[in-house]
Amino acid sequence: MKISIPARLRVPLAYGLGGAILAAAWLVRGGATWWFAIIVVVSVVPRVFVVYRRGGRDSDEGALAGSRVDERQKEIRVRAQALTGIATMIAAFVGLTIEIAVKGPAWWAFVVIFAVGALGYVFGLQQYGTAAEGAPDDEDAGDGEPFPVGR
Amino acid sequence: MRNRVREQRIARGLSQADLAASLGVSRQTVISIENGRYLPSLPLAFRIARFFEVSVDKMFDPDDEEAGT
Repeated sequence: MKISIPARLRVPLAYGLGGAILAAAWLVRGGATWWFAIIVVVSVVPRVFVVYRRGGRDSDEGALAGSRVDERQKEIRVRAQALTGIATMIAAFVGLTIEIAVKGPAWWAFVVIFAVGALGYVFGLQQYGTAAEGAPDDEDAGDGEPFPVGR
Repeated sequence: MRNRVREQRIARGLSQADLAASLGVSRQTVISIENGRYLPSLPLAFRIARFFEVSVDKMFDPDDEEAGT
């Protein structure tokens, strides 16, 4: 059975789910900082309502929050996501460099973020680039033989 | 690339919201196309041309680079 979530609820629910997972992680961690879970819930719940209300607005931001984007708004979202990816990679690289230099313990976390980003990029190239290119149907297009250098 | 979307829309007495609803896009996208800030995809360009019952090359003029992208 396929469950269909109303478009306007998708982004707010994603926020809510993210917050719930983060709060659960603080609870599982336990100890003296378990109450961080309450802070996460208190910060995320109003945000969920804000995003839901924004989803009803007649604007690009509203369309993105309400999951009812047209082709131009999809392009805006893709560009923003690409910028997010670049910013994350730069931040991971800077963090890794600093952690290595100061002999910090969290260097591996930056390596993971950097590696996931790099793999995502390679996967994206394969998925949307070379896979979509297709085989040439022109006889002159080459058959993949190496260039005859030094022959 | 110059286009005649605004001209055609006004000639038919349509609002940007009316045109957006007919084309299945947002009002903001119609505004961006009219201002030349956004070049529609080929399917949307055809939808626009068909809606106004003109050819695509009459609606979008690639030779005029003055008005936008």
